[in-house]
Amino acid sequence: MNRRRLNPFLFIIVLMFILQFLSPPLTSAAEKLNYRLKWLFNASVVGDIWATDQGLFSEAGLDVLVKEGGPERDAIKELELGQAQFGVASADQVIRALSKGSPVVVVAQLFQINPLHWIYRSDNMKIDRLDDFKGKIIGITYGGNDETIMRTLLAKSNITESDVKLFSVRYDFTPFFTKKVDIWPCYINSQGPILKQKLADAGEGVAFFNPSDFGVKFVANSVVTSRKMLENNPDTVKKFTTALLSGWRISLDPANRDIVLETLKKYDKNTPPDILALQLDLTRDLIKPDAAVEIGYIDVDAWKQTEEVMIVQKVISSPVSVEKALQPQF
Amino acid sequence: MLHRRVLQFLIIYTLGLTLLLVVKYLLNLSDYVIPSPESLINTSQQVFSRYFGDVMDTLLVAIIGQVVSICLAVLVGVLGRQTTWFGSFIKVAAYNVQAYPIVAIAPIIFILLGDGFMSRLLIAAMICYFPLLLSILGIMSEPVVDVEHFYRITGRIRWQLEIKIRAFENIHKLTTVVSGSATLAMAGTIVAEFMAANAGIGYSIRIALYQSDLSRIIVALFLIGISLSVYQGLLEFSGSWVKKTWASA
Repeated sequence: MNRRRLNPFLFIIVLMFILQFLSPPLTSAAEKLNYRLKWLFNASVVGDIWATDQGLFSEAGLDVLVKEGGPERDAIKELELGQAQFGVASADQVIRALSKGSPVVVVAQLFQINPLHWIYRSDNMKIDRLDDFKGKIIGITYGGNDETIMRTLLAKSNITESDVKLFSVRYDFTPFFTKKVDIWPCYINSQGPILKQKLADAGEGVAFFNPSDFGVKFVANSVVTSRKMLENNPDTVKKFTTALLSGWRISLDPANRDIVLETLKKYDKNTPPDILALQLDLTRDLIKPDAAVEIGYIDVDAWKQTEEVMIVQKVISSPVSVEKALQPQF
Repeated sequence: MLHRRVLQFLIIYTLGLTLLLVVKYLLNLSDYVIPSPESLINTSQQVFSRYFGDVMDTLLVAIIGQVVSICLAVLVGVLGRQTTWFGSFIKVAAYNVQAYPIVAIAPIIFILLGDGFMSRLLIAAMICYFPLLLSILGIMSEPVVDVEHFYRITGRIRWQLEIKIRAFENIHKLTTVVSGSATLAMAGTIVAEFMAANAGIGYSIRIALYQSDLSRIIVALFLIGISLSVYQGLLEFSGSWVKKTWASA
């Protein structure tokens, strides 16, 4: 008789798939938590690195695994799927998720100033007014939040698409280096120092354009969790947020600069130490731009403006009342 | 043949979509993670015609890339079929180059050729060229001893005849390889568009991913799948027509 045997590999794959989804989504008694970052380990996540490296989570009785992010990672989806209990997401991700019914809440805002800036050569141009954009070739990532921000800036100054030329940006900076594009989007604290040095080596000076200087406040990265987590485990959320923000406070204290840089080097081996130092200083200015601003402070007005921008730019179809999802836990 | 291909695709697509929806409702996931049927319908109404144009654009590049690859693979396969030093060199080079991931080579291509049509075409051709070349090399370097022996001992064998014999005897394998390489060409073009182009369905998928919009990706996958099924079905039909015509000649 021809008996059919179950393929063991197929069986294992199906079993893993089922276990993946049936595993409990929230914390167990041991308080094991996954924290999904938005990007790779670098100076932009120095507080997260410090909190885990210096055992601040353990001191709070939490077993936290800090996981690197990346372009294919989405912390909010992982929260819903139970693969992470905390994560870092940008405001546009949070608002998009809310518009699709995701039960996500923001427990702390990391960046008070969005690190997304535009770099340009300062030797042959200057952007003091939005009108200075006219006639320029501007890089934007179609579908990215830089597109939303730039379109808002252009609309604000009544500049139409015929007044400028928009250029589709990719990971490769060659079009900017070869002067094919005048203004290129970049993260000032991570990519900024590298680009600046590269162009300085070629004898060129650069400047950065900050959209918030022209009234467009578009919130960047924040710490998020699920509403279920906040309601069922408020103590855990509080402990996590307190430990995390403590990590940010200590790591950004100028008095700890040297030791923090030593720690950063362990996690970001590919960045030269001098660049790493510049990145750390720039990150400090974005997280704590003012002595009066508490690290983690949620700028409700900026969130509301981000939501408005997304509605005007038709990124979302209707209001989501984002303020209801802002639940500071520190 | 054509309808079978389309039907098979529809079954697979429906099963995949059903699995996603089962997971969605079983785990009570929001539309942000897995879109609901209503959201899928709304999205398809919004983007269907635009995405269809994008898929046709991608398919056109993929077809041109595949034709270029077939021509090149046949040329190199014919040259590399001999057990000479040159033949062995071609084979080793083909194996080695295939080992390089296209994502590592792509940035160099984009720097040299920019992010337009040529980069997409080249990457599509590169992705489907090497598997094609290896298959054609395999077929062309394998003598059909029974038939070739006769021509050899009568002194009538020429390289053109040798190739004809080997192609005729392996026509089924050749048509399968050509049909299969259509998938690779399409995948290659989408990868290229995803990484650097300003057009095509790969570019649209990239934007949808930026916006975490799975419903758009699901619509795009449907259009890619259905277009590819039709194209592969047509290739298989052409293959069987060639076989019949050649056999009756």
